[in-house]
Amino acid sequence: MTKIGLEIHCQLTKLESKLFCPCKANYREYAPNTNICPICMGLPGTLPRLNQKAIEKATMIAMALNCSTPEKIAFFRKNYFYPDLPKNFQITQLNIYGDTSIGGSGMIIVGDKKIRITRIQLEEDPGRLIYEGSSSKNQITLVDYNRAGTPLVEIVTEPDFENPKQVREFLNILSDLLENLDVSDPSLEGAMRADANVSIEGGNKIEIKNIGSFHDLEKAVHFEITRQESLHARDILIAQETRHWDDKRKITISSRSKEEELDYRYFLEGDIPWIIIEKEIHEKLKSEMPESISSKKERYVTKYGIPDQVADVLSSDKFYSDLFDKSDTEKNAKEIANIITTDLMGLVDTKEKRQQSKLESSHLTDLADAIQSGKITRTSAKNALYEIVKSGKKLEQIISEFDLGHVSDEN
Amino acid sequence: MNLKLSALEFVNEVKNGNLSAEDFVSATIERIKKIDGTLHAFLNVNKKAVEQAQLVDKKIKSGKKVGSCFGMPLSVKDNICIKHSKTTCASKMLENFIAPYDATVISKLKEQDAVFVGKVNLDEFAMGLTTEFSAYGPSKNPWNPDYVPGGSSGGSAVSVSAFECVASLGSDTGGSVRNPASFCSVVGFKPTYGLISRYGLISYANSIEQIGPITRTVKDTAFFLNILSGLDPNDNTTINSGNQDFLDGIELGIEGKKIGIIQEMIGEGIDPAVLSATNEAVSKLEGFGAKCETISIDMVKYSVASYYTITATEAGSNLARYDNLRYGYDFPVEGFEFNSYISKARTKFGPEVIRRMILGGFVPSSGHAGKYFLKALKVKSKLTKEVLEAFKKYDYLVAPTVPILPFKIGEKIDDPVALFLVDINTVLANLTGVPSISVPFSISNGLPIGIQLLAKPNDDKSLLKAAYSLESTVKLPDVPI
Amino acid sequence: MVTEEEIEQVSKLMKIDVHDHKEFVEKVHSMINYFDILDSAGVEDEEFTIKDLPLSCLRSDKHIPYEEKLIELLKNYKGTFVRAPKMV
Repeated sequence: MTKIGLEIHCQLTKLESKLFCPCKANYREYAPNTNICPICMGLPGTLPRLNQKAIEKATMIAMALNCSTPEKIAFFRKNYFYPDLPKNFQITQLNIYGDTSIGGSGMIIVGDKKIRITRIQLEEDPGRLIYEGSSSKNQITLVDYNRAGTPLVEIVTEPDFENPKQVREFLNILSDLLENLDVSDPSLEGAMRADANVSIEGGNKIEIKNIGSFHDLEKAVHFEITRQESLHARDILIAQETRHWDDKRKITISSRSKEEELDYRYFLEGDIPWIIIEKEIHEKLKSEMPESISSKKERYVTKYGIPDQVADVLSSDKFYSDLFDKSDTEKNAKEIANIITTDLMGLVDTKEKRQQSKLESSHLTDLADAIQSGKITRTSAKNALYEIVKSGKKLEQIISEFDLGHVSDEN
Repeated sequence: MNLKLSALEFVNEVKNGNLSAEDFVSATIERIKKIDGTLHAFLNVNKKAVEQAQLVDKKIKSGKKVGSCFGMPLSVKDNICIKHSKTTCASKMLENFIAPYDATVISKLKEQDAVFVGKVNLDEFAMGLTTEFSAYGPSKNPWNPDYVPGGSSGGSAVSVSAFECVASLGSDTGGSVRNPASFCSVVGFKPTYGLISRYGLISYANSIEQIGPITRTVKDTAFFLNILSGLDPNDNTTINSGNQDFLDGIELGIEGKKIGIIQEMIGEGIDPAVLSATNEAVSKLEGFGAKCETISIDMVKYSVASYYTITATEAGSNLARYDNLRYGYDFPVEGFEFNSYISKARTKFGPEVIRRMILGGFVPSSGHAGKYFLKALKVKSKLTKEVLEAFKKYDYLVAPTVPILPFKIGEKIDDPVALFLVDINTVLANLTGVPSISVPFSISNGLPIGIQLLAKPNDDKSLLKAAYSLESTVKLPDVPI
Repeated sequence: MVTEEEIEQVSKLMKIDVHDHKEFVEKVHSMINYFDILDSAGVEDEEFTIKDLPLSCLRSDKHIPYEEKLIELLKNYKGTFVRAPKMV
């Protein structure tokens, strides 16, 4: 019986500002240490200024994962020393005085498995470290605080996953969900990180840290299961420990830490009062939440008769579902869905291509009309689509320009 | 030049054209030069003070709108940030720290055309009761320089008492404004928690500390409260004070008010001179038509232990940022490993700060939190309930500010627990968040005694009325320096 | 009862080199002994009092760049990074 649990950190990259100060939340465009201010640098005498929208967005994430959302939330200090931590404590959330983090227990369905969410908490990201110098004698650490204070949502699951494939599916669902909620762009480097814990046959839970990407997460989990299984087969005890993922060698290594186990001396953050999120606000947030992926899929299948697999693709990608929903779905839903999920996909398969695309929903409406009425053939439609994505010209114009107005299907 | 003006008197004189800000500030700087060698209130004197006063005078002459301070000279405790000025917290760890921003209280005073004559001494990082723990040497009590001026805002109280400035900004975590005010015979006020913004106050125990003015008169305190109080977006713990005018109605008196004398603060260990001063103060208050009777607040006897446990925990966390990487003093990182570097860098803290940090690591640690830290929080909670209950019956509470007279420099420095207990009367207001003021009341054998009044949360305006009444019954001699 | 070993552990936790452990043991010992008084306060069933704030009082999500080049006012390495010792 393999058991895998996850601890996922998602940056709220779509917010304008950091969790406790007005510096930019998405730090990626900045030269080192140019996206900082006295607050996120933890300068003496500065105090945190909590971002209202971060709480709203985090609450939406909790709701989307079917978590309980308390009426009062609190923040705590996690005290430890590290160069990327300007105050040498992190402001985070805990549930030691009742349920006070942004999301309580919830769940999400992955395939046919129910994955329980333990809790969701809001916290600040630390800065970034760069190591300079080759030999261990010369080594210096360089610190860039641009990222310090970026809002993070930590999602902790119960060890309900049974295999790496389920983990992968879950991460995809989560990425789509976050993108759909318009809170985060999971494709940004470092926007989503995860730690895992793995145990087999009711044995000790091994934590794996330092996993850099979702791709590596699947690998790391797979490696660790194999490692534990081989130890188990030789009757060797799997000791409780923390391991870290070695990206170069693609293995997990025991973290032989020289320090004793850290005591974080958690206590309430005195500079932030408990925040009241009244029932009315919860209802308002719920009503403002973008339609969930599963709800979209349901709608596509039942209302428009779109085949299950097509509806899957359409609903789980915000770019596609937005295009679909804004087009004339009353008339030619199936045709539009078909165009998107067959011909269009290849033309917009990267972020850059999507950003450069000049295609609008009205184009799809026109195209579907033209195909259905026999004005152009499927093949010509494919070519027209290519042109539209490139130039944004109206279908009418393209048909005349490229002389696509044939009825016959010969080619 | 008569430097013995209160803030309101100064403003009047300047408004009437009898005095220029430049002349007064110049004379103030001269006074500092003359006596501060003995008193050591100042860590840093503002070389541009006279120049800044000249600018205010120009503004006045030109008929432009002038801020309510009219160029009056103020001193500021050196744990409050003034932009581009050294802010050391009287520590070697921040020897070269230059604040890149103004504290909110500083911005507000600058807007009102105040002139800062300098930064004044404190116990290192505000941890102490006597200013003896400053890394730059102690300050001396102007009433007798062999004696402590109180702390941690010792420099503030000394500078006001000795006419080195008109008023000062201090900070009060466990009595650090009221205690030195009492020891130096000036007025010291700790507002309701959240009334004055802490943005720019270098944190020691952020859940209970407040910036407070130290002034010559109670009306001056009201004057400064009008400038300093108010909601601040930079401090999420500030409260809406409702745009009150704290001077309005301050002379209305306390007829018919009920005042509780805190039994636990006039009991065992109190100096007979302090007890008799307290009794005299009570009869003076009764003379105004107030009804006074003793009240017991049981949790007082646990308040010092609770206070030091909570503040040590918060200090341990608030001072963690001082690892000498981003600011601090000169100490290169080459050749060191992270943990050994910062452990060595942080030995620049003074012995009292180090003791508090060891305590602060111990009492909330996983093996001990239940016995110490969590219990301390519960005592704080219960004390608050008891005090709020008392305020259902009484309008004010009264007690001596400090149970003993000022003592000699060096006398208590080696006995930490004896020093703790000097705080026993003042920590209550910090733990419960209620406003409290120390009014200078008498001099006994040349040493000052102050009387403390407390009111319920947000009743700061009413508290000032009671303090004003008490103050009006006393005519104290001037400081002998 | 606080041992010298415990003081050493805590000083590692707080990252301060405490050379003369014995001196600290005595003083810290007497301070902690004093705190034992809390045991007789009878507060086991007490709940914490909490200060709270409605969501609407919080800062709105706007990006406001800090007007000065802050890194130049702090310890810096060629105006870009902060230097820290090597990590083990």
